[in-house]
Amino acid sequence: MKDHQAIPLGAAPLLFLLVSVPAGGGEARAASVLHFVGWKSEAPRVWDEAIAEFERRNGVRVVREVGPSSSTQFHDLLAQKLKNRDRSLDVFLMDVIWPAEFASAGWALPLDRFFDRAAQDEFLEAPLEAGRYGGRIYGVPLFIDAGVLYYRADLLAKYRLEPPRTWTHLVEQARTIVARERDASLAGYSGQFKQYEGLVCNMMEFIFANGGALWDQARLRSAVDGPRAVEAVRFVRDRIIHGIAHRGVLAYEEPESLTLFVQGRAVFHRNWPYAWAVANDLSQSRIAGRVGMIPLPGFTPGSGAGALGGWHLAISRFSRNPDLAWRFVAFMTGEEIQRRIALSTGRAMTRKALYRDGELLRRMPQLESLREVFEGAIPRPATPVYAPLSSILQRYFSAVLARPEIDLRRRADFAGREMNRVLDLLRREPER
Amino acid sequence: MTRFERSSLLLMLPSALVVAIFGLYPVLESVRLSFYRSILTLPWLGTKRVGWENYADLWNDPVAAQSLQVTLVFLVATIPAELVVGLGLALAMNRSFRGRGWLRAAVLVPWAIPTVVCSQMWRFIFNDRYGLLNFLLFGADVRSYWVPLAEPGPALAAVAVAEIWKTAPFAALILLAGLQTIPDELYEAAAIDGATAWQKFRHITLPMLKPAFLLALLFRTIDGLRVFDLVFVMTQGGPADATNVLSFYGYKKTFAEGSIGYGSAVAVIVFALAMLLALGYLGALRRARGGAR
Repeated sequence: MKDHQAIPLGAAPLLFLLVSVPAGGGEARAASVLHFVGWKSEAPRVWDEAIAEFERRNGVRVVREVGPSSSTQFHDLLAQKLKNRDRSLDVFLMDVIWPAEFASAGWALPLDRFFDRAAQDEFLEAPLEAGRYGGRIYGVPLFIDAGVLYYRADLLAKYRLEPPRTWTHLVEQARTIVARERDASLAGYSGQFKQYEGLVCNMMEFIFANGGALWDQARLRSAVDGPRAVEAVRFVRDRIIHGIAHRGVLAYEEPESLTLFVQGRAVFHRNWPYAWAVANDLSQSRIAGRVGMIPLPGFTPGSGAGALGGWHLAISRFSRNPDLAWRFVAFMTGEEIQRRIALSTGRAMTRKALYRDGELLRRMPQLESLREVFEGAIPRPATPVYAPLSSILQRYFSAVLARPEIDLRRRADFAGREMNRVLDLLRREPER
Repeated sequence: MTRFERSSLLLMLPSALVVAIFGLYPVLESVRLSFYRSILTLPWLGTKRVGWENYADLWNDPVAAQSLQVTLVFLVATIPAELVVGLGLALAMNRSFRGRGWLRAAVLVPWAIPTVVCSQMWRFIFNDRYGLLNFLLFGADVRSYWVPLAEPGPALAAVAVAEIWKTAPFAALILLAGLQTIPDELYEAAAIDGATAWQKFRHITLPMLKPAFLLALLFRTIDGLRVFDLVFVMTQGGPADATNVLSFYGYKKTFAEGSIGYGSAVAVIVFALAMLLALGYLGALRRARGGAR
């Protein structure tokens, strides 16, 4: 008797399995639901309102999934979903460095049939270009970013200093101010040097300013082991990290480095344009109204440039409802929503017309100078092997910055060889 | 086959099926994939059988070698500490005193918290600006605040501390179970012979605990070898790859860089290492059990 009772109990896990497998939603319902994967916005209310409005106008429901705010971690989440051809993903945020990868992997839907030349012309050229790969367009620019330099206007004025135009100049000014302020909790510089994608942006800015490059996209050869690049890395290691920077920067991403600055504990700060609004917000910042923003310095005046960053909206190739997905993308990147997001988050818009909008310019005077920064911003080269190249660079930069005893020259050569091996993959012919 | 045997087999079938689907299949699939070269972002290169090429590359990969070294250092740093702390907790829980129930419950808390939550908590504790560690060490003296996660050695130590905190209770549970199998008569006899507390501990408790120790060691080594979540949340492998443990390296290769074959090879190596160590421990365990009888 006992045996007979126990059998159904033992089979319970199996039953559970069988029951839970075919639980996918019906096709009919899927048409009215749109899945959107993004990260947590600085102004979630504006997003909520915009999405609610889209739902109302179109009679659909938008299901949102919030991913990690670190670009590197967000990438891995998306890559897993897309690799598995996840049907519960229609629209997603795409970093400007991913289109080549997502296009060649067949993950992102080419948008040319929705997004024609005339519509494209309404956007700034740099971010639009970043969304193109192999002659097609894969993303609609939502925000544009470029590295800029923030400084304590009050401290510079106190010591009668002009905002720096070269990095050497910046280091001298930081030293002077920190020494004379006699405030041991004040650091000269704050940026993002943790082992992640932001490290590549920060280092690339120094390397470009010194006339170097990360790799040569035409020749498919590494350039990070070239003399100009190595010289720039040495400058960052000796003069910035082990010179004027706060000692925590090797563990900092954007939020931590910005916190340091808005608490009044750094003279100079490298970040993206959104930091302007935070630094001038009395409820978040101790230095509101005492902040300046300029293009990044160079090694000679005018040689500096910010890394091009920003986010696109893209559609999954596995979306069951690309037309609805496109309507959502068009709505969210439309003029009205861009204006609202810009006003509430300080993130910069991608539509040209908005840079001539009187009201926006009055409320965000920094836009005027930002447009120039954006036009001169340096993109990270578009390639389907961006992720492995970035891993190698992150490893190299983090190693030489965190371990100053390492032989920089040899470590650069090693990184160069590793990058060349990855770039060689692009020379291979298709194999059958 | 007797009726009893038949019903026993039937009863085992569901668990065997679950193990096959969730345990065996992924392992076999990883082994299969590790013999292919397949790069997700370069689909035109196709998926090609490359034999042992991934393993040969892995053997010559200095990053993998360093990653293995980090993993081994991590094991050596965490496991003895987990066992010692676990033993202390087990001894305390084994005594009868008022509030023992509370102690037992409290000890289990770290083990019951999901690892991601616990990793996030330790990341906050080690944060230089608002972390508890700096406050305890330096109080309001902001100037002295230290950033452990920004330096290679301390970053690995920070991850190790989080791991010990999180898993010592597990070791304690196994050791407690071991303690409770030691017959009281042995202690009574020792007391009659005039043994001191230390002698009882040294000559009765420790030898009798050997199987439990080996069991705890087995579980902790396998788990420690596969550590991933703590690194993922706390450091992302940095700074300077100081916390780039093997599992994290394999994850980066597979999911960030899309090298499915190479990433699988890393996973298979982690699996093989764990398997080897487990077999070694199981052998020792069998001998210890035999010796105790």
